[in-house]
Amino acid sequence: MMQRIELAPLLRETMTTPYSHMVTRATGAALRDRIEQTIDGASHRTTQLDFTAIGLLDFSCADEVVAKLLIRVADDEEHYVFLSGVTERHLDAIDGVLERQNLSVAALAEGEDAPRLLGVVTPDAATAFGAVQRLGAGDAKRLAEALGWTVERTADALQSLALRRLIQAAGGTYRPLSLP
Amino acid sequence: MMQVIPVPGTLDDKTLDTLAAALGEWPPKEGLLFDARATHWASPYGLTALLTLGQAIVEEKLPRPRFTIPDSDEVKSYWARAGFFQAAAECFELVGRVPKKSSDAPSDVLLPVTPIRATEDVHHVVERIQERAQRILTSELHLEPKSTGRFSMSLSEVCQNIVEHAGTGGWVAVQTYNWRKRLGRKVAVIATSDSGIGFRRSLEASEARKVGERWGDASALELAVLQSVSRFRDLGRGQGFHQIRRYLGRWQGKLSVRSGTARLSIVPPWDEDESLAENLPFFPGSQVQIIIPAQEGNAP
Repeated sequence: MMQRIELAPLLRETMTTPYSHMVTRATGAALRDRIEQTIDGASHRTTQLDFTAIGLLDFSCADEVVAKLLIRVADDEEHYVFLSGVTERHLDAIDGVLERQNLSVAALAEGEDAPRLLGVVTPDAATAFGAVQRLGAGDAKRLAEALGWTVERTADALQSLALRRLIQAAGGTYRPLSLP
Repeated sequence: MMQVIPVPGTLDDKTLDTLAAALGEWPPKEGLLFDARATHWASPYGLTALLTLGQAIVEEKLPRPRFTIPDSDEVKSYWARAGFFQAAAECFELVGRVPKKSSDAPSDVLLPVTPIRATEDVHHVVERIQERAQRILTSELHLEPKSTGRFSMSLSEVCQNIVEHAGTGGWVAVQTYNWRKRLGRKVAVIATSDSGIGFRRSLEASEARKVGERWGDASALELAVLQSVSRFRDLGRGQGFHQIRRYLGRWQGKLSVRSGTARLSIVPPWDEDESLAENLPFFPGSQVQIIIPAQEGNAP
């Protein structure tokens, strides 16, 4: 089950003004409080943060809303976060704050069909992530054959993705996060 | 007794040191009169720093300083339209006939002198500049369209530094101008200035002991600007200057930060400034300037 949180209306509610830009650390902290309350009030395992209609995103706000939220949900058992509605105006800030904190997240950019990874990503992890998105659920052996890699190399990449909550892992099977 | 301080004919990041030297001991012992009658040009850095000076004197509970406005009608008119006199009336007793503030700022003023005191002010500044900056940065400075966002993000981060670290309010102004003599190109300039505690005092509790004997304004600037050190332990803090430096690298832009008696600059190839100036005459608070030159050929 997935929970979608639209940031543009949440920003307007939180700031009680018609701002369309996510800027300042204080704004980010207030938004994250609201997001965490929403997450805590539901039983969904996956949270989709939707950036549609958000203008600018600065580093301080991205650090509060994205990086700190990822750190916070890392304490929850099997909670996944992915981003949608992301545009060029947001990528710099999200990438920057995630790299600083050694984090990564899957994001569906506006106008794209497949998600991409933002933040800290090794080339193997990025390749394996793309393959999981294309091929769907499967085990390391199947993916290794598709990629022409050894099973060990593939398993390492998949395990790294699963630990970062970028794909789901259960009983030796890896599957992409359910995207809208 | 009143001490008369001449405002330099051209007031910018360089000549601010001359103004600071004329102040002498800080806080001043007697009333001050700033004489800007002969001043014929001031950069956004100069205008915001002047306001900081007035604010700092008022915050020291000293007599409200007097400020003699420029003689030149052209300069007076420009400063009025850039929002300077309206802001200056808060902290100076203005001497001379101040032109009424016109609602239309000069075309090269992207953001008139604007106070920054709270988070809402940063939102206001970003909302206000986005649309105007887009057109000017792409058509006149030939930056690629997505640079507008980076420009506004840099603006947001330097304004937030005031709210988060200064302990008091400050000012921001953004302008473009043709830097024919120094660079031969048009530039966009972001300037902020506050009369707050400065980088040294902001970082003192967490960093002074680690740095040891070299601790001072210069080492505090190096830590904050070059090493992204913040007084907060949170790993996500201190990224503002790091990201600004990244952008400036792409644009061949210049960053200079003055605090107390030191100024640290990220110097692009087109400039000959020194990267670290120490033992400057004291000036209250912190001043930040970002200069982005028009791109030659294709934008990076």
